[in-house]
Amino acid sequence: MEEKSRVANILAIVPGLAVMVGTLFLLRTYVEPWMKDAVVLGQKGWLVKVLSLNYILLSIIAGIIYRNVFFGGRIPDWAEAGFRTTRLFIKSGVIMLGSLYTLQKLAKVGSIAILLISTFVFGTVFFVIWYGKRIGMDRSMIGVMGASCGVCGVSAAVATAPGVNAKPSEVALAIATILGFGIMTMFISPFIGKALMMSDYQFGAWVGTGILNSGQVLATCLAFNPTFAPGTAVAYGEIWNVVRVISIPFVVFIVTTWACKSEAAESCDATGQKMDMAKVFKDRFPIFVLGFFGMTALSSLGWLGAEGSNTLHLLRDVMSWIFGIGLVGQGAYIDFRELKRAGGKPLRVGLVAGTLKYVVALIVIMLFVSKDASF
Amino acid sequence: MNILLALDDSSRAMEQAVRLASQHQAGLTALFVLDAGWSVYIGSDFLLGSTARSKFLEYTRDDEFAQQHATVETFQKMAQAAGVPCVIKTTTAQRVPEAILAELEQGGYDTLVMGHPFRRGLEVMRDATAQVLKSAACDVLFVSREG
Repeated sequence: MEEKSRVANILAIVPGLAVMVGTLFLLRTYVEPWMKDAVVLGQKGWLVKVLSLNYILLSIIAGIIYRNVFFGGRIPDWAEAGFRTTRLFIKSGVIMLGSLYTLQKLAKVGSIAILLISTFVFGTVFFVIWYGKRIGMDRSMIGVMGASCGVCGVSAAVATAPGVNAKPSEVALAIATILGFGIMTMFISPFIGKALMMSDYQFGAWVGTGILNSGQVLATCLAFNPTFAPGTAVAYGEIWNVVRVISIPFVVFIVTTWACKSEAAESCDATGQKMDMAKVFKDRFPIFVLGFFGMTALSSLGWLGAEGSNTLHLLRDVMSWIFGIGLVGQGAYIDFRELKRAGGKPLRVGLVAGTLKYVVALIVIMLFVSKDASF
Repeated sequence: MNILLALDDSSRAMEQAVRLASQHQAGLTALFVLDAGWSVYIGSDFLLGSTARSKFLEYTRDDEFAQQHATVETFQKMAQAAGVPCVIKTTTAQRVPEAILAELEQGGYDTLVMGHPFRRGLEVMRDATAQVLKSAACDVLFVSREG
């Protein structure tokens, strides 16, 4: 019986997945090449060069159009299971991105990433606590918004909510706020990066620090430079992204402990026990990060071949497809009608904290991070 | 006359439904829809296990049941105080308005009463009243939250 339902679950994925794969195929085979040749405003390839409309952003836009236009605001039942594999594709892609580094290279850039990410993550959390209290937001919602603005949108919001007894309906509003902010930054960041003539290193560091969602960080980096190779925006951005998601359990622990401080100790978590850092770490650690480091270890040992080898070429080609498919799905999870309903204090806090982090990160990167890549 | 009340946390909608049923000696059914759409909303899938997401889904499920208990209890007390007999129904759906419309179709109701804006589960993010109004084949009374 169990086996049957598993088979049924897997078969249910096929129609939606076929739509995602087919869409990416059309975008890469016909739409992007056409855009590269199209003359707009007297410039050949203006759509790609100026608007950064490569297959990555087109994938997200296609997903958004599916959800908001063709599907009428709801992914239909026949496609839903397939579209739900979105996170699986993006996380698998992140694991494969580990092949772009060696442990030595990671160590070289990692310390700067850890310093910047720690400063911005915890700086944002403390800012949200201060600002949320100032405008009279619920303590539980301050906790959820602190975690989601500080670390990683949806993942941090859902990881924190039970610990601080936040109302699920308010968590939904917080998620909509963060996603809405992320979409905006995803489309404007490549413009800003090109206007300021940022290097791939600076752009990756900025986007990895200032944008809150793993998929959106990858998409923004690939919109800036669609190449998968060491030394490109996506290679740098992903180091920042990985450091950021690793901080989730630490942030959850700090926020939950803070939120419970004024409450009775018994209310600190659903089981009536005080929060235990080891348990929080075990429950909230993003396991896919281990896969990312595993790939880096294989790359360091030279098991994936030298730069330019067929294996690496194939791996990067597969990666580009995996991300493209995942991003079609991610676009289909963006419902503008839902985003429009976001409002009230979560929206205020999300916009202020998100914008502040995004702008201050840009200033810090431009002032203190050199254009030259570290590897 | 047969009235369906779509339950959310609006006590004014409950009051209006009870008043209407009492005035017209009508049958009154209250429907509470448990929102099962959370896993889709947060993008959880069975292939990619995530403890944080699973725990959040358990948390939302517990919250749904707690809300059901509190809302139904409030409504029952109100109906009893007014001496209006009522039937309580509970169902689960991915989208709350679809369950309300399905009940309207099956139950042969003359009037639907619901709060506006309707706040049940993830409908805080959506426009349930517009969706119901578009498809309901009976009279619909939207009750504002503020008197």
